Amino acid sequence: MDIDDILREVDPSSSGLPSETRDLQSLTRVWVAERSTPELLSWPTDGLVERVNGRIASQIERVEALTGDMDPRSNFALIVIQTELERYKFLVRSYLRARLAKVDRHALHYLSTPDLRARLSPTELAYATRHQALLHNHYLASFLGSFGPTLQNLNDTSGNITMIDTPDLESAVFIRLLRDARVMGKGVDADGDVQGRTGDIIILRWSDAKPLVDTETAELV
Amino acid sequence: MALPLPQGLVPTEVAFLCEMEMVTVVPRQRLESIPLLSGDTPVLRPPHRAPMPLWLALLLKKQRRANIVPPAWLHPASLADIIHHETNVDPQAFSPPPPPPTRADGRTGRARPFQENIRSSREAPKPGDDPRLAPPFLPSCTADAPGGYLPYHWLELAEALLAHAADDVPAAAEVRSLLRDLQEVRAAKMRGSTQSLEGGGGVVVLRGVGAMELAESRAFVLGVVDGVRKLGASAEATRRDEEANGGGGRYGGGGGRGDFEDSDEEMEF
Repeated sequence: MDIDDILREVDPSSSGLPSETRDLQSLTRVWVAERSTPELLSWPTDGLVERVNGRIASQIERVEALTGDMDPRSNFALIVIQTELERYKFLVRSYLRARLAKVDRHALHYLSTPDLRARLSPTELAYATRHQALLHNHYLASFLGSFGPTLQNLNDTSGNITMIDTPDLESAVFIRLLRDARVMGKGVDADGDVQGRTGDIIILRWSDAKPLVDTETAELV
Repeated sequence: MALPLPQGLVPTEVAFLCEMEMVTVVPRQRLESIPLLSGDTPVLRPPHRAPMPLWLALLLKKQRRANIVPPAWLHPASLADIIHHETNVDPQAFSPPPPPPTRADGRTGRARPFQENIRSSREAPKPGDDPRLAPPFLPSCTADAPGGYLPYHWLELAEALLAHAADDVPAAAEVRSLLRDLQEVRAAKMRGSTQSLEGGGGVVVLRGVGAMELAESRAFVLGVVDGVRKLGASAEATRRDEEANGGGGRYGGGGGRGDFEDSDEEMEF
């Protein structure tokens, strides 16, 4: 437990739930969101992943201490602890891999503007930069090198056509409303506009869903 | 590939989420509190009921350390009511989801009640920063959950209970066949809802749909919506141009349509 945990304990806004439980809820939510959206979402800024990783590390230490103990009572507790540990590790791993897959697919896009770079965590940024450098060097060595210098760029945007592949922000997602809200979405034949109630599951384009998700009016499912 | 899965949760991931749902267990032997990453488990003393996440309840059940109390909506009478609602009362829409749980202090959602006794005396938080809870963290599958409403993870939870704790479910055989009926009625509605996807209307509301039902048809639904969008991209661009030139786009002018709140019309659009 560090100072942040203590502060969170006494903070009235934490609404009566222990911070462990809130972290599990947030982690689950960011995992589902990351798995469901076409583009990379922002790295949680409140240190959620670092906190969870710290807890996992200390839980592993506890398991190691308990394994030496051959008491049958603590044996069952050990099974429960390890089962939960595996579930947690799966969540974290799946979340990070979902992000990595998106970075892999559109590395140049996420490196192209400061806003997009800010969505990556420091390690992801280092990974994406190195990944792109390796790829560019490989292309240079294998075929780009024989082109003229003006044709060697991978991020050319001349003629209003950009070479950078971007994720399809218009692809459809499922969201659940967390409070009553008016939902507007672009459509092919007509634009949709419905008064949604809490708990409604709605299909719409990600570009229309993003503001709702950012303001926590809705979550992805 | 870092993650060889399609966009959106697949059924196995939905089942994983469902295992976080809270259920009520009746312990058959004492068990001290276990320090878990998601908080300490309650001390188990027979015959006092205790809330548990489903994965832990199933583990206890397999070791014959506890019995699971099935939620009220899983009783045959409640399921028959829901089927009646789905087929006769409202043959278009899904039956409504459970109402948001109310609590004594007026806050919505009583997430994981592991430690609620210790902290329930806390004053309510400022409005605006309450964490909006959603399944699987709502107590929609505990013994206190209201009957007559299907929660978001109904199918997976019922399957898990019938597979691993069938002796705790009253009239398990009847429940099984009712569930199958319910599943078929709702699958037909899910297929029917694709008609509104084809229209290209922009927003489709599926109130009361279940997680597994979404996961099953997710690839199909997303494929249809994206396909319609790509086919109609040029028509849509033309329409937007016309609206921009004609002044007053649909967003501003279409207020009249946003006013209908007839709840039974949602599937229609």
